[in-house]
Amino acid sequence: MSQQSLILPAPGQRAVRIRRLLEVLGAVSIAATFIFLVLTQPADITNGLASGSTLVALGGFLLGAILLIIGVLPTLPTSTLVLIPVALVLNIALGQIMGSTGLPFYFDAIGTVLIAVLAGPAAGAATGALSSIVWSFINPTVLPFAAGAALIGFLSGLAARHGLFRRFYLAPVAGFVTGILAGVVSAPIAAFVFGGTSGAGTGAIVGAFRAMGDTLLAAITKQALISDPMDKAIVFTVVALLVYALPRRTTLQFAFVRRFNVLAGKKQETPGA
Amino acid sequence: MPARLNPLTALAAAAATAATTTAASSWAASLTVILGGVVLAVRAGVCGRLAPAAAVILAPFWLSLLIMHGLFFPEGRTVLAEWGAARVTTEGLGFALDMGTRTAAYVVVFLLFSFTVRVPDLVAVMSARRVPPQFGYVLASTLTLAPAISGRLARIRQAQESRGLVVRGGPLPRLAAARLQMVPLVLSLIQEAGDRAQALDSRGFNGATARTSYRDVPDTAAQRAFRAVALLLAVAAVALRISGQWPDMQWPSSQWPGGVPG
Repeated sequence: MSQQSLILPAPGQRAVRIRRLLEVLGAVSIAATFIFLVLTQPADITNGLASGSTLVALGGFLLGAILLIIGVLPTLPTSTLVLIPVALVLNIALGQIMGSTGLPFYFDAIGTVLIAVLAGPAAGAATGALSSIVWSFINPTVLPFAAGAALIGFLSGLAARHGLFRRFYLAPVAGFVTGILAGVVSAPIAAFVFGGTSGAGTGAIVGAFRAMGDTLLAAITKQALISDPMDKAIVFTVVALLVYALPRRTTLQFAFVRRFNVLAGKKQETPGA
Repeated sequence: MPARLNPLTALAAAAATAATTTAASSWAASLTVILGGVVLAVRAGVCGRLAPAAAVILAPFWLSLLIMHGLFFPEGRTVLAEWGAARVTTEGLGFALDMGTRTAAYVVVFLLFSFTVRVPDLVAVMSARRVPPQFGYVLASTLTLAPAISGRLARIRQAQESRGLVVRGGPLPRLAAARLQMVPLVLSLIQEAGDRAQALDSRGFNGATARTSYRDVPDTAAQRAFRAVALLLAVAAVALRISGQWPDMQWPSSQWPGGVPG
């Protein structure tokens, strides 16, 4: 007997292939843009980085992020999809809580990493890119960093999949590595699109490197390599604390957590962290 | 801004303006765009909200640019003042001005769009254009969820304070206090998301078939033509700039030794 009439039609083979192609194109677009920027930057710096590179950086990274979103979004199950707005709001709200504690960190990726740990790399990448796009309705300067945010989501999902959240000391290490890569990818955006970073503290660090004669891109990359790994190591730790503080009933709702055994502890027992 | 402007027209205008301003990359062009944006904001009656929002974003950015390029700009030739490693150069200040006004123009234009657009209209138009419906859901859901969350956060804090939570002391008690607020917030949000997923699933949200929209967003031939022209102009400006053919009729401070980048 056929159940066809009761369920929604499954997407055809062609649709699946097109989505896969979009994901690959998105990743290629981001990677190609980055390589182009790194290869051409020495010539541009002396020109005051007028704007050819800016347009390439903006266009390539945004196109990549949008292709990723179009490719990944329709494949996500509804239970993951409804978490994305939650993640974005968490990025904002948890940042506010952290601000009220007076600690000198910014934590704008907690929601993205949380989703990636619960729902996997693809969901993490889509969440990162989408959150940049939606957040840009309130702060447009976030928009060009969509590719970096997607990378953070993807890498943290990958870390969760390979069990780095099972051991408590491995989560900050994974965050540190993610921060290095994310900082290196985001630095060209800060350099070419905005000509610098926001905030007096990071500005002073960049200024110090510039005083030693670095090009702007090199100075901003070094600044990012100082700030980002620390920030992401802390974010990953916070997410690990958060995930283990959640009831096991909640975390085990997610197929990704069950399938790859993301969290420590036996399946039927209380969390042992 | 007229109330019944199609959201796509506003979006196309904003994107085209931002792209062209970036391609022009001169403080005079950026300043013109900022002024135009402010005039439109005043006419649309959103200036009171737009100005503080833009100031919060731009003030730290400008300060940072001034520290970075005003004091340290190794490529600068004309030195105005010098203290040890810090050198104030004309080129550095000019670069900070170019970048500062360009980013300001970009921020003003997009904030003007997001403050005047009607999100339900935008979502309806996008789903009619075969943008995945999930995107519209995430956009609309986030923009309505964000204000609700800060209210809930305040309630959680009140509840914890009534149980004796006091935020003070060293970093560890502060972290513990943050945890006491975060865990209930995250837990309730994830729980609600699960409920919402079931409700959406039972209404065929993930279906691939076309949907009927009850929301009719007006669109005119004039607006369609305007969109096409605006995007074509923007593409032309970007192509000119990237190919290095941009006409050099610029202002002194935007000129750099070595000419236009290829």
